Amino acid sequence: MLTAIVTQSNGRIVNVRLAASDTTDTTVVGEEATTLAAAPSAEGETTAETKTAPNPIAPETKELAWAAGSFIVLFVLMRFFLFPKLKQGMDARYAGIRGDIEGADRTKADARGEVAEYERALEAVRAEAAARVDKARQTVDAERQAKLAEVNARIAAKRAEAEAENAAARAAVRDQVAVAVSQVASRAAELATGRAPDAATVQSAVSAAMESAGSR
Amino acid sequence: MEAIAHLIAAAEATAADEKNANAAMSAGFAYGLAAIGPGIGIGYLVGKSVEAMARQPEAAGMVRTTMFLGIAFTEALALIGFVVFILLKFA
Amino acid sequence: MIALEFPEINSILRWKDIFPGFNKIALIAVLATLISVVIFLLAARKDHSTAPKGVRNLAETIVEFIENGVVMQTMGKEGLPWTPFLLTMFLFIYLCNVPGIIPFLQMPATARMAVPMFLALMVWVIYNGVGIKHQGLGGYLKSTLFPPGVPKALYVLVTPIEFISAIIVRPFSLAVRLFANMMAGHILLVTFALLSEALFQAKDKVLIPVGILPFVMLIFLTSFEVLVAFLQAYIFAMLTAVYIGGAAHPEH
Repeated sequence: MLTAIVTQSNGRIVNVRLAASDTTDTTVVGEEATTLAAAPSAEGETTAETKTAPNPIAPETKELAWAAGSFIVLFVLMRFFLFPKLKQGMDARYAGIRGDIEGADRTKADARGEVAEYERALEAVRAEAAARVDKARQTVDAERQAKLAEVNARIAAKRAEAEAENAAARAAVRDQVAVAVSQVASRAAELATGRAPDAATVQSAVSAAMESAGSR
Repeated sequence: MEAIAHLIAAAEATAADEKNANAAMSAGFAYGLAAIGPGIGIGYLVGKSVEAMARQPEAAGMVRTTMFLGIAFTEALALIGFVVFILLKFA
Repeated sequence: MIALEFPEINSILRWKDIFPGFNKIALIAVLATLISVVIFLLAARKDHSTAPKGVRNLAETIVEFIENGVVMQTMGKEGLPWTPFLLTMFLFIYLCNVPGIIPFLQMPATARMAVPMFLALMVWVIYNGVGIKHQGLGGYLKSTLFPPGVPKALYVLVTPIEFISAIIVRPFSLAVRLFANMMAGHILLVTFALLSEALFQAKDKVLIPVGILPFVMLIFLTSFEVLVAFLQAYIFAMLTAVYIGGAAHPEH
């Protein structure tokens, strides 16, 4: 930068100086002594000649003062007022959240216990119900068996009765048939031989014939 | 008389020119040289950190913190070079 | 050719007084304080029992970032009383960095040596003070200059290095890191802004489309500066915490 200024200003130094002080800070010139003293490097003849702006790195007192002031004010406010207040709120909320979580855990454990108890009760009730159903079923079975047996017995009795009646009727019919047949047979023999056959002989012959027919 | 004054001024100007040219050149060298080491250093550092993070992703947070600290220390060298550049060029 | 003339360096770094003794750097520093105070005041006034929203959320996020990301990582639990200090430091530096990309301010206050120098000197005083308070003057010097676990013969070499490191290099690098990062960013932004302006206004019409290239670079650098502003504030707070923690509890 200085180079440009010096070469350009060869004939008209005043001009360039004006330009330099235009672009740069006006108060810098007043602080030149302090800032240059702070800067370690020797500026050499060029600075002395052109009275240019100081080192761009050299710190300025007023900036230092304002920065330090702002920082210290901020720190004091933060340390004694802003941060504790915010932190208090955060801690309170975190404590609350932690308490809530613990409460929720407790409630959950309680609920779990209740569920287990309920399940136990349910199990017992279910077992009882099953027992009762079994018992009822057994009773019903027994009753049914009994009734079935009774009915069967009744049916068997009726059947036996009917069979007996049947047999009696049949025997009666046979007797009548045998009587009729022996009468017919003795009449036929009487007509053929001229004398009445022995009743017992006819009867035994008829019954033998009927036996063989019935057995067929 | 005026011509002589102009001549002297011109001579002074060339002297100043030469000085400034030297300053600019050394400033460039200062920064260029100062950037080599930290460049290699940061490359190596970040490469190793990525390797570590890939190998152990659960330690990535710690590795990253340490990596930034390492970069800060390494980078300071390059930045000092940059400050020297500014001092040489403009002071 | 284009008429590209880089301005005098001081004209992009030094600012005229707004009123005597108060320039843009001072304005930014004061604004940083005001903005932080307003954010925390608004945050503290809100109801703290429900989930944080808006300003309170912002403030609590910053506080938690400092607590978990800076203090707990470097100093552990006993460093928590330092949270307000580191919080102030982080906020102040960040809010001084960020105006570098805010239109009309366009100047990071930390790109002037005064601000980082003050902060670094303060940190230097604090960590030395903490070391002397916790270990006594002799103990602090002993643990700093004669780190344990080093062969006796090496102290000839180690002690001067440790002395220079702890007394000179630390504050110097702390200040220069912040300052140079921000100034370099500022100068880069100025350079590319000037270059794109000169190309967009070039007499040779062919050059006008070329101006898009530095303009894209300018946009990229602006977003990069957003990152740098945060990162430098974070690193400054982090290193402060590391130095204070190291002074309070030296490696056993």
